[in-house]
Amino acid sequence: MHDAEPNLARHRPLTLVLTIGTLLLLGQALWFYLMGEYHRMPPPALLTPVMLMATLLAPMGGDHARAAACLVLACGLLLIAVELSRPTGLPSLWIGLPPVLALLLLPLAPAMLLNLGLTPIWMALLGAPRPDIDVLLAYLSLVTAAALVPWGRLRQQAWLRATDPGDPECRAVSPAYLRERLAGEIDRADLLGQPLAVLLFHLPQLEVADEQFGAKARQAVLDGLCQTVAGRCRAHDILGRAEEDVFWLVMPNTTESGALLVQQRLSRALEPVVLVETGPLETRTRLVMRHEGEDESSLEHRLHTATRRLTNARDA
Amino acid sequence: MRSKYKTGLLRINLLVASTLVALRAVAADNAVDALLLWAMAAWLVITGARLRLGHRHLIARLWQLVPGLLLAALLGSAPERHITWLWAWPLLLMWPQPPWMLLLHGLLAVMSWHAQHDALGSEPWWLSGLLLAGLMFLGLSHARALQARHLATRHRARLVAGWPLWPRPQLEHDLDRERRRATRESAHAELLLLRLPPRRLLPQAGRLRHHLQRFENGYRIDRRTLGVLLISRDAEQSAQRRERLLDALEPPVTARAIPLPCLVSLTDEVHALSRQTPARWIKESATHA
Repeated sequence: MHDAEPNLARHRPLTLVLTIGTLLLLGQALWFYLMGEYHRMPPPALLTPVMLMATLLAPMGGDHARAAACLVLACGLLLIAVELSRPTGLPSLWIGLPPVLALLLLPLAPAMLLNLGLTPIWMALLGAPRPDIDVLLAYLSLVTAAALVPWGRLRQQAWLRATDPGDPECRAVSPAYLRERLAGEIDRADLLGQPLAVLLFHLPQLEVADEQFGAKARQAVLDGLCQTVAGRCRAHDILGRAEEDVFWLVMPNTTESGALLVQQRLSRALEPVVLVETGPLETRTRLVMRHEGEDESSLEHRLHTATRRLTNARDA
Repeated sequence: MRSKYKTGLLRINLLVASTLVALRAVAADNAVDALLLWAMAAWLVITGARLRLGHRHLIARLWQLVPGLLLAALLGSAPERHITWLWAWPLLLMWPQPPWMLLLHGLLAVMSWHAQHDALGSEPWWLSGLLLAGLMFLGLSHARALQARHLATRHRARLVAGWPLWPRPQLEHDLDRERRRATRESAHAELLLLRLPPRRLLPQAGRLRHHLQRFENGYRIDRRTLGVLLISRDAEQSAQRRERLLDALEPPVTARAIPLPCLVSLTDEVHALSRQTPARWIKESATHA
């Protein structure tokens, strides 16, 4: 899940579940009040506002959603702890809830650490005369077996990342695939005796947009560049994301004069792009031509140097 | 590449889980319970032994059904003993799965919750049901998010990590692009179609990739057909490369080479290849002088 997708709809299910959870908790407090079990009332009554806060935080996304998940988890653990310490409770039912809650709300590693770390506490709460070994085994086997699903999901995500040539955030190819394509184009240029040009773009607003205006503004900056460039270059030109805020446009079979023309045309096309939050889209470009017969590592080295210079230009 | 997927750690996790389940099986007081728990332990061990990344086959699907069925059976046969595992249902739904499997898991979850009524008493039974439903919904939404990403990249993602082997939609896209590009660069581009026994397709593709230039790609067109886009300086070089490439493959291979200017329809050519008797067939280029 930390594999962030920029859409906000992702947090809707969590929000819905939290709303229901808050209502349930409130209902439980009321139920205890009506049944006259006043001693059982404080935990749900006190935790209801916390849940309410989490519910309000969840739809905001990013760090807020993570904070909401932690709050809910804390609430859940406290309620379970109270429930487990009751002599007439149902320990073997409720002890299964915390690990599942943790695995659903947290990434795998913290969830597993939490689940294993809390084991002695649960056992101490349960151990009226002495902890039941079968309950312990059931708990531990649930913790380890249930972790398989998040494991599998992590592997699937890693596999998706390894096989998808596209950048997850925008319409450009990923850094790894860009390097692969560049190497291929160098070989092809050698085979056919053609020039090769690479145009570098730097988006100085990207970081600021993210910090000041959030994920949406960041996405707008990225789309502003990618869509403009993709609409104006040839089908076999490769737009790739070399770094967080630097893009390379690899142009096979392009002479220096041709590349300069492209650079001019793209700069003109990017000028009128105005975004809602950040204003006119700012881009810096730089052209790198491949020398004839230049090998891959030397060209890549020059490209990286040019990238450094481009990103440091503002500070100078 | 393998270390990225943390296969070793996952194996240890699976072994620990199966040991714990086996310990519970030893402590079981009746034969059915013991049998089910042993089956679960065995499932965990076997899964650990044959961890793979691909999971589109029917057998793999059926294999994924086993834990759900075992869980339902355990919760149905001995509710008091296994009630802790009732909460595993939301996690099972977290795994991306086809709708029918989702429905089945949902039904099994409802059934096993229903079976707990006597063990729990009315008030906790309702509370646990509501909580379970909420968590299952959350698990389901996680699965949906991953599935959506999978669907979005399916037509463009390579089939094996690190190999230049792509799905058919990508070939159609690349053909279109390469046709124009090769004309402009006056290079010779040709599509080489290879028909192989389905079992040999992936191994042969793995062999093939060592004979491709870094700007060339292979494509899986269907379960018996591979496509390769060869880019060469001229027809002569192309013929040499094609021969070398075909010699590197293990028979039986039926090959059909079509220079891009002569290619009218990919579907027709694939169809023609399936009925072709000679092992190698080359469409003559009309524009080649």
